[in-house]
Amino acid sequence: MADKPIKGEKRFFVTGNEVVAWAALAADVDIMYGYPITPQNEIMHYWTRLAPKYGRKFLQTEDEISAGFTTCGGVFSGARAFTATAGPGNTLMQEPMSMAEMMRIPAVFVITQRGGPSTATVIYSQQEVTLTCFGGNGEGMRIVYSPGSHQDLYDYTIKAFNTAWKYRFPTFVLGDGYQAKMRESVIMYDPEERGVQMEPTEKIVGKEGMPGVDREPAHLRNTYNTEEELNVVVNELVDAFWKAAPEIVEHQEFNCEDADIVIVAHGVVTRAAQAAVKELRDQGKKVGHFRPITLRPYPIEAMKKAIAQAKEIILVESAEGQLDKLVKAELYGSKVPITPYFRPGMGITSEEIVEFINKKG
Amino acid sequence: MQRIVEAYIGEYNSGKSEVAINRALDLLNEDRKVTLVDLDIVEPFYTLRPLKKELEKRGLTILAWETQDTMGLGEAGNIIKPEMKWALRREGDVILDIGYGVEGAKTLNLVEEKEKNPELRIYAVLNIGRPITSEEEDIIEYVKSLGPVNGLINNSHLGNETDVEFIQEGARIIGSAAEKLGLPIIATTIDYRLAEKVGPQDCLGNPIRLLYRYMDRSFW
Repeated sequence: MADKPIKGEKRFFVTGNEVVAWAALAADVDIMYGYPITPQNEIMHYWTRLAPKYGRKFLQTEDEISAGFTTCGGVFSGARAFTATAGPGNTLMQEPMSMAEMMRIPAVFVITQRGGPSTATVIYSQQEVTLTCFGGNGEGMRIVYSPGSHQDLYDYTIKAFNTAWKYRFPTFVLGDGYQAKMRESVIMYDPEERGVQMEPTEKIVGKEGMPGVDREPAHLRNTYNTEEELNVVVNELVDAFWKAAPEIVEHQEFNCEDADIVIVAHGVVTRAAQAAVKELRDQGKKVGHFRPITLRPYPIEAMKKAIAQAKEIILVESAEGQLDKLVKAELYGSKVPITPYFRPGMGITSEEIVEFINKKG
Repeated sequence: MQRIVEAYIGEYNSGKSEVAINRALDLLNEDRKVTLVDLDIVEPFYTLRPLKKELEKRGLTILAWETQDTMGLGEAGNIIKPEMKWALRREGDVILDIGYGVEGAKTLNLVEEKEKNPELRIYAVLNIGRPITSEEEDIIEYVKSLGPVNGLINNSHLGNETDVEFIQEGARIIGSAAEKLGLPIIATTIDYRLAEKVGPQDCLGNPIRLLYRYMDRSFW
């Protein structure tokens, strides 16, 4: 047995992509499947450099459709498995992701959002929110974490495997190209030493014993004969998802208690929002920030409380209203007006948010 | 005046560009004529992109692509700019910022007339804060994989969480690796804000080079 990749705790200076590779190692992941695409490539580069040293595996497939399906296949065999992709690769991978919803396959997908639509830029955006939460021809029975720092990337990559295997829904770490390439320090740790037990994996097909005699047969289906049959299955999926949702939702709040204006932002943009709140508070303005960490399921109860006092929500994102759509669907009926600050495919700084809010008066 | 020609190579995110930019500016401040060459063909001008004009204004000659002169960035492959290939014919000092890793180091093969420029020195930039080069054995193995190297730069840091002890620890670990590799440590770099706490030399007597942060304004 190879040494543990991380012993104890240690601070390193790394890019976000490396963080994901190391976190997957620390999470005792058995195998990564992948097909190259910027800006996720270094996840694969580092995984393939490190994996042999720690007895882990990698399979490069012919495209993203295959990378997604092989990840599902790896999970069937009981492996803790993941893949990573971005942009057009995320689009192609929707079919296996849908299958993972239908068959309750605990596969983990790391997405590093790039510009869209289509090939667009290899750099950055938050334009894969809708695709990642609701892509595929289903009901969006997916769990989506939106990290905002390298520490988040480390923590939530590890957590994604546990969430996936505990609740048996495909689980996503929705990063972006900035986080992928950004350099900052992070504390890496062995989860076990922090008291985080990795959720055990198990074979989903090919289990021990005679099916129907020693055990229930594992009959995994993504195809049904009639509307009625399907409807029963989808209802079960939906029920299971919403039953688990309250245990899964996560968020962060910054000075929301007495805030007249609440900035809602996720992912890397939370950093700008947090800094903007500090600056605006120093200027004597009652501004707070609500950050959904899970975009799916959405932490709506917490958000309702956070905006209870607010006179206005400012919705800030590097997309033309994808988080906005989520929020509006969840907040239907709320009287708090939502002012958009959309910059599709562009980074957003705290100075820009401060200026926007100050100009509004 | 002895001409200075230096190529900076090393692990991804080891600080090559930061070290190269600072070195070029240090030389410029000594009233030398300096050309800085961005020879990263994996991610060209991502790093220098927002800085290019500012550095040119200060008097550096910069050989790097402008984004609008290229197409299919990151998707269609990159070509080396012809003037980079002949960078060593430039008058004055030449600082080459080379792409990362073993494959990146091979980019140097594309530069013409190295044999006519025996003053060329290839320095590997190392940071013990990088997981892959955090220990002595890993550093030795890594540097050996890079091809010809004339010296090491201790660029150990943890971004904003850097303290002097970490830098000195880097000097000790990289120093010990350097000894086994039979290579000199050319310098230990430190953020200028820590300058007073260290003085002109690190704990092993290697010269200190102060770094001003430029790369934090870059995007990638």
